[in-house]
Parts: sequence; structure tokens; C-alpha cells
Amino acid sequence: MYTSVVRLQNVFGFFTTVAFVVAAFIAASDFLTDRAPIVRTLKTTSVQVVRGRPHYYSSKKEEYAVINFSLDADLSSLFTWNTKQVFVYVSAEWPAADYAKTNATNEAVIWDTIITSPSADHLANIGPVAMKKLRKSAGGKSIDPNRGKLSLKNQRHKYKITHPSGKLAMTDNVTLRLHYNVQPWVGLLTWDQDVDYGYWKALKNGVSKRFKLPAIKEKKPASAGAR
Amino acid sequence: MLSGLANPRQAAVQLMNFGLILSTAFMMWKGISVITDSPSPIVVVLSGSMEPAFQRGDLLFLWNRNILAETSVGEIVVYNVKGKDIPIVHRIVRKFGKGPEAKLLTKGDNNVSDDTELYASGQDYLVRKDIIGYDDWLSPVLGRFDYSANIVLNRSVFAYIPFVGYVTILLSEHPWLKTVMLGLMGLVVVLQRE
Repeated sequence: MYTSVVRLQNVFGFFTTVAFVVAAFIAASDFLTDRAPIVRTLKTTSVQVVRGRPHYYSSKKEEYAVINFSLDADLSSLFTWNTKQVFVYVSAEWPAADYAKTNATNEAVIWDTIITSPSADHLANIGPVAMKKLRKSAGGKSIDPNRGKLSLKNQRHKYKITHPSGKLAMTDNVTLRLHYNVQPWVGLLTWDQDVDYGYWKALKNGVSKRFKLPAIKEKKPASAGAR
Repeated sequence: MLSGLANPRQAAVQLMNFGLILSTAFMMWKGISVITDSPSPIVVVLSGSMEPAFQRGDLLFLWNRNILAETSVGEIVVYNVKGKDIPIVHRIVRKFGKGPEAKLLTKGDNNVSDDTELYASGQDYLVRKDIIGYDDWLSPVLGRFDYSANIVLNRSVFAYIPFVGYVTILLSEHPWLKTVMLGLMGLVVVLQRE
């Protein structure tokens, strides 16, 4: 009855049970920590619409919105012992053509960044110099209160955005929105929320003022006397 | 240990036991499938395109129902490219419109460019129902069941356990391990006297 196979099975079974229970407790601990992310500033600094091609070999011309922005936000309360990284992204949202009927909107990410928790710094996809700097910035602490503090002035967009129709110029009622996605070491993935849940407060002030995209910026003529 | 084989009745009982274990596991899997509305509610990360969030071998739990809100920008979804059997776990970065016809564009956090090049030719965007369930490693053994039903929509990742799934990567990269493992499981169950 008590063969070594049975013993091995029991040990392995007990190990997995304990591992899963501990993991469940760690995951549950997320709900008991405060989250109070705030955005102090989120505004556009320059908005342009230019014509371009989706890729090098395409002959299709589309309109692209080029949006630069300023952001001042404090997401440091999202970093706990179970946080692996926070994915922060700024999106532009504007009403779809049939908005009046369906309430449909379009949303596209213009900028994003990954803020790793010090415990996950070694996983970041960056060069050795930047890695050394990043690890040093935490100063050996497992939770660094400076992580998640974003202060960007006139930040360049990362992605030029377009619309399947290829038309974007003069679009009105565009807003920028700050979002985040908290990636745990184990447990539930969570996103920014509009309402408070228990210890987790809603993201305040995460939407910019409405703005309008300008007309297409024409390229300057190559030479004045071309005609 | 081998005494079970001496008695045919005992052997039959043990065979039944083995069948019971297999069918219980199968029923649990399908039960979770029904609850989450996803043919494979738990997937293993196969590539590093979402690093550092997900590494190879991490286990993702998927939820495919839109009860409170639509699938929207920022969510991580699993989709299959038409004609390929590799599930891709990427983040939605653009969404145009609303409802089942909304056009979605995805991108891996660790990739420089979006997934337009990964999609089938002529396909610039995904839609909510574009996404088809994928063959998990057990399906060649248990047979294909509802994978052809094409009911699978966009599956969003909602929970995460690191590394546990690495076994399945080993199993799919070295198929002989599958045979060995199933054989061992069978042997242990049949030979073991409860």
C-alpha cells in the first residue's frame, strides 16, 4: 500500500495544493490594498493631420492624426508586492460616423509604456545600460514609490492613428484618455475603472478636454517656381 | 502491486477508475468551457511577444462573455490567424465602431509594430467573431468536439498564473513525452490498488 510511488504522488499532490492556496491568498491580497490613481494633467500640446501610406509598399493614401500631449499622473498606488508591471496607455477616442444612432465610438492608442515593478525589472526588454539604471533606480526596494509617477511634457506620440475610411481631418469631439492595466504576479488582471470598488478608487480626471482635429497639413511645395 | 492483474474483476475496476478520472477531468474542462463560453478557457503562452507581462509557459484564464462591457481597447485577447493553428495572445490597440462588426487591431506589447502583417492577406482588422478556438494538446487524444462549431469570439484574458503551463510547452515540442506521460498515468492507475 505505501509504496514509494504512492508517497511521491502524495508529496506532489500536497505541494500543488499548498502552492495553489498560497497563490490564491496572494491574489486575494490585491483587494485589500488601496488604489487611488490620479491624473493631474492630460492635455494635447500639438495636433496635426498628415497624409501618409499605411506601409512602404502601399499606394493608398490615408490621413493620419499626429497627437502630442502632456501628462502628469500618479499611479504609484498600483504597485504592491503582487504587481508585476503596469501597462499605461493613452488613447484618443472620437465618435463614430453613426454615433447619434448607436453611440459607437472609435478608440486608438497613441502612446503606451510598460512600468515594471522592481521585482520584474530583470524581465524588461531594454538594453544593458538602461537595465542597470532601472535596477539602480529602485535602490534595492521591492516596492518603489517613484514607479508610476508620470510627468511628461509635450510627449511625442508613439503611434500615428488613422481610421479604416482613411478620413480623419476635421474630426470633432476627440478626447484623450489615460488607461492602465495592472499585471499581477499571480491573480486577476485589472484595468482602470470608472467607479470605486471597495479599496480601489476610480481613476480621477483621466479624460482630456474635447478637441478638434485640424485640416490636413499640406506639404510645402518642393520649389516655389515649379509651375 | 501486480496483484490487481491476477484478479480480472479487480483489473476491470481499476480500468473503470482510470476512465472515471479521465472523464472527470474532461467534464471539468468542458464545464469551464461552458461557463466562460470559450473552447479552451485556459491557454499557455507560447511566445514572448507580450513580455514582460507574459512569459512562455505562463497560464492564462480566459473569459469570453461580454456581460458588463464590450471588449475594448487595452484588453488582451486570444485569436487565431486564419489557416494557422497557433493561438496568439495580444492586446487590442484600436477599435473602430461598436458591436460584432467593430474593427479591432491588436499588437504585442513586446513587438515594435502592430499585427497587420500577422493577419491573413486582405484582412486588415479582426472582428469579434474572427477568433476561433484552438486545439489544445489533449484534443488529438480525446477527439475533436466543438472546435468546428465556430462559436468562439474574442477571448479576453482575466487571470494569470506564472509558469505552470510550461509542461504543456514541453509536451507539444516533444510529442513523445505525451505518449510516455499518458502511458505512465495509465500504468500507475491500473497497477495501483486502492
